[in-house]
Amino acid sequence: MFLSQLNNEEGRIFMREVAVIGIGQSVFGKFPGRSAASLGGEAVVAALKDCGMHPRDIQVAFASRAFDASLTAQRVLKGVGISALEMVNVENACAGGATAFRGVWKEIASGRYDIGIAIGVESMTTSSIAGKMIPPQGDDLEGYLGMTMPAMFGMIARRQMEEYGATAEDFAMVSVKNHHNGSLNPHAQYQKELTVEEVLNSRMISEPVTLLMCCPNTDGAAAAILCSMDVARKYTTQPIRVIASALLSGSYQHLQKDICASLVGVKVAQMAYEMAGCEPKDIDLVEMHDAFANEEIMRYEDLALCAPGEGLQLLRSGATKIGGRIPVNPSGGLLSLGHPLSASGVRTVCEVVLHLRGQAGARQTPNAKVGLAQMLGGVITGMEHGVAAGIHILAR
Amino acid sequence: MDRIYFKEGIFSVDTDTGNGTLLGNKCASCGQIYFPPVDFCFNCLGQVMEEAALSRRGKLYSYTRCHMPASRFQPPFFVGLVDIPEGVRVFAPLKEAADRSFQVGMDMEVKIEELWRENDKQVIGYVFEPVK
Ligand SMILES: [Zn+2]
Repeated sequence: MFLSQLNNEEGRIFMREVAVIGIGQSVFGKFPGRSAASLGGEAVVAALKDCGMHPRDIQVAFASRAFDASLTAQRVLKGVGISALEMVNVENACAGGATAFRGVWKEIASGRYDIGIAIGVESMTTSSIAGKMIPPQGDDLEGYLGMTMPAMFGMIARRQMEEYGATAEDFAMVSVKNHHNGSLNPHAQYQKELTVEEVLNSRMISEPVTLLMCCPNTDGAAAAILCSMDVARKYTTQPIRVIASALLSGSYQHLQKDICASLVGVKVAQMAYEMAGCEPKDIDLVEMHDAFANEEIMRYEDLALCAPGEGLQLLRSGATKIGGRIPVNPSGGLLSLGHPLSASGVRTVCEVVLHLRGQAGARQTPNAKVGLAQMLGGVITGMEHGVAAGIHILAR
Repeated sequence: MDRIYFKEGIFSVDTDTGNGTLLGNKCASCGQIYFPPVDFCFNCLGQVMEEAALSRRGKLYSYTRCHMPASRFQPPFFVGLVDIPEGVRVFAPLKEAADRSFQVGMDMEVKIEELWRENDKQVIGYVFEPVK
């Protein structure tokens, strides 16, 4: 479905062009003394300030939060002077933020509202799972048998080593790359360069995945203000267009023959490219889910940044570094920013917007015109790993 | 000591041989086999499911040694995925052989044994170990 078709074909819903005009992020880190509402409020205030918007101009809000969620949008916006408008709260594991962003996009594209805000927020340290691994659900058979996210990515890493000749050093290189990027990002939880040796010698979590190949649990929030293109021009000379929005859920597990190839990750990317009317080679930068260092390599293939099976070569070529052909996670990714689950899907969009505006500072992708923000995750016994996946493609 | 199954209806033990078997089910319409058993077929939505005991042996698809506690397991412990000939991939704790380390593709066999203890009860479940 191209937007133009949606516009032209009779009987189809008319879709307006939507732009991102304001972005904001809270501090990312461990803040046991701060509520999710306070972190969310910090991101909302930053987004309003970014585009010089009055709080009362917001017409609709979507918020996402995974842990201890209750009326998140209302709690966050109460603290910044916004009430009495349509607010929707969503949860979609790591894709929650992308789901909230898409919710606002749909409201504006459909013409129901002109201005809306998407908020992703998580306070992991004040949640019921603080200090623990994300626990299995009560009826989760595999969880009781020892399945965890690190175990899953340990097993994926073993397959990558077996099938493609990947080494622990390759996985460490992803972490080194993203921590280099994070050292350039004042919003990152860890603004520190790492060496391959430091990554390899850090505590073993799930072989061959070490501690510094895992993203930290983090508190934080991000917000994005979207509006119709005609309204956008009142606020900014640099509206960033949303040219694709795609959201998809995972398949049953028996359909996934290769745990290094995500059915949902591949399909949601195809949906996004088709909607944007562009190809992977047209993308100038990517922000994506790198919860584990070796995960980034399989996601290169999901997003067709390279041919299937060639993710390792793409990494080794250096193409995904800042300054390479297709920088991936120039923000520092989840590995150095940390991963407040529901915030990450909005935060990745914010990073792409910065690059498209030319405001990303030392980590700027030169002359970026089109960027892709992906976020996915969640595990359920009997379904492929990565149960919810969202992608937005943005362009200037 | 009392023995309880960590989950009923998904494995059995032959009282003569002591051999364990995983109990899945099979769609009567399209033949897809599932483990653990499902209420209906996820492929074709067929409602008629037949019992299907899985082969006791399979090939190790992947594995990892975990160094963080999970569920009731104390680290380090192995878990892995075993491909059963019926086309089912089973996630299970793994038991290391004394004489060799795990290899992708190695032949594995299911074993029913104590997973952990709970309130003075032995909690029984399935693990896979390299074929001797
Ligand atoms: Zn069937």
